Amino acid sequence: MTIYFDNAATSWPKPPEVRVALDGYFGDVGGNPGRSGHRMSIAAARVVEDTRDRLAELLNVADPSRIVFTKNATEALNVAIYGTVGPGDHVVTTSFEHNSVMRPLRDLEARGVEVTTVGCYPDGTLDADDVRAALRPSTRLIAAVHGSNVNGALMPLTELAAIARTAEVPLLVDASQTAGAVPIDVAALGVDLLAFTGHKGLLGLTGTGGLYVREGLDITPLIRGGTGSLSDLEFQPDFMPDSLESGTLNVAGLIGLGAGVEYLLGLGVSRVQRHERELVSRFVEGVGEMEGVTEYGPKDLDQRCGVLSFNIAGLTCSEVGTLLDRDYSIMSRVGLHCAPGAHRTMRTFPIGTVRFGFGVFNTRDEVDAALEAIREMAAWAANDLAGIAGDNGRDA
Amino acid sequence: MAATLDGLITFFASHHAIRADKVLRDAGFATELASGPKELSPNCGTALRFELSRTDDALAVLADRHVQVDEVHPYVPRTDAWDRSGSPVRRAKRLWGRRS
Repeated sequence: MTIYFDNAATSWPKPPEVRVALDGYFGDVGGNPGRSGHRMSIAAARVVEDTRDRLAELLNVADPSRIVFTKNATEALNVAIYGTVGPGDHVVTTSFEHNSVMRPLRDLEARGVEVTTVGCYPDGTLDADDVRAALRPSTRLIAAVHGSNVNGALMPLTELAAIARTAEVPLLVDASQTAGAVPIDVAALGVDLLAFTGHKGLLGLTGTGGLYVREGLDITPLIRGGTGSLSDLEFQPDFMPDSLESGTLNVAGLIGLGAGVEYLLGLGVSRVQRHERELVSRFVEGVGEMEGVTEYGPKDLDQRCGVLSFNIAGLTCSEVGTLLDRDYSIMSRVGLHCAPGAHRTMRTFPIGTVRFGFGVFNTRDEVDAALEAIREMAAWAANDLAGIAGDNGRDA
Repeated sequence: MAATLDGLITFFASHHAIRADKVLRDAGFATELASGPKELSPNCGTALRFELSRTDDALAVLADRHVQVDEVHPYVPRTDAWDRSGSPVRRAKRLWGRRS
């Protein structure tokens, strides 16, 4: 039996409905959406718009055209960041961001954008007042991850949105780990920009993602090209979603994403959150009783999503990941998770951690099996491995 | 495993690791993709185990096929000694006793 705890990288399995929907792609929906007037093109356009509508319902977006599709959250974050700031502008972000935020910001820093990185606590929680204090008259963007891809810590989104609104600075939220796993109401929160991926909590396919852009916020396109609209003009349309959606979309992927979102709408994201929180709680309680096992997330369950990080004393994270896979058929992800800042904040740089990302289809029994595996490995590291620690065969 | 996979090639990207695995296997080498030990290389999460005695040949094949390599290390992971049903200590001493 395979235990898949790498849902923070991509979710598996997908609901059966996703596979059924893809069958429909091969059978009935062969055209290019929005490009031609024939029935197959229209069928493709319909399914793309259905997916947009479902996402709008899930995120409580009044106007679905404010959601644009991208190939992943990274692209969405790049569209948002490069589209809102330029030389002379100032950006506030946090020390817990993924490289999909930090690398664009570091690139922009070299081009005259100033970046302030507000420090999180070692458990990944953030004092929103520190963000307020970092604002300057030149601040043009606040960029924050919603749920950490390293230890699952949730940012104080309500407070951040209020700060951003008062300062009239757009708030960009990286919802890669939370869309579909934690309820998000962009209207109630007042989020300006929200980047999501289609293949994690939203249960769709890789190669899909998107960006929500608040009504009234115009951002400069990162990519320009064919949209199927205003074909007589050699200038990019300025209306949504075409302004930010050039080139043929990943129709097959978006059909799968639509089915994944439909599944979540039926289930309710609150239920997903309760389920994942229960699994996290069970895990944290279990490792809390073990010698030599350190878990790095916030103590308060309300400040966590379904992602967590741990280490076993005496073993590297790579070794734990190898054993989990080889001897227990448990899939994890080890290392720095493309978020070096988060690991520096957690004091786990450069050693990294073992990460579990729970998903909607994981069970309590699977968590118990993982706990037993960790107990065995910790005992091995403490007892047997200690005696041979000086001769471990590693020639660094 | 029949061959002694006592060497490890690290890479800058998993693209190179997967390519190297394919290229070396096609050339008759015994290989095994493995989680890249962070203490050896921070560059890539995927590394390739192979027979250290065939380093020169392996690097020649990879160079010929334009597969970029980070470094080659003598390396037997401690996890080879992990045997839930046997005696980890005995297996470990056998594995690593040979090396000292």
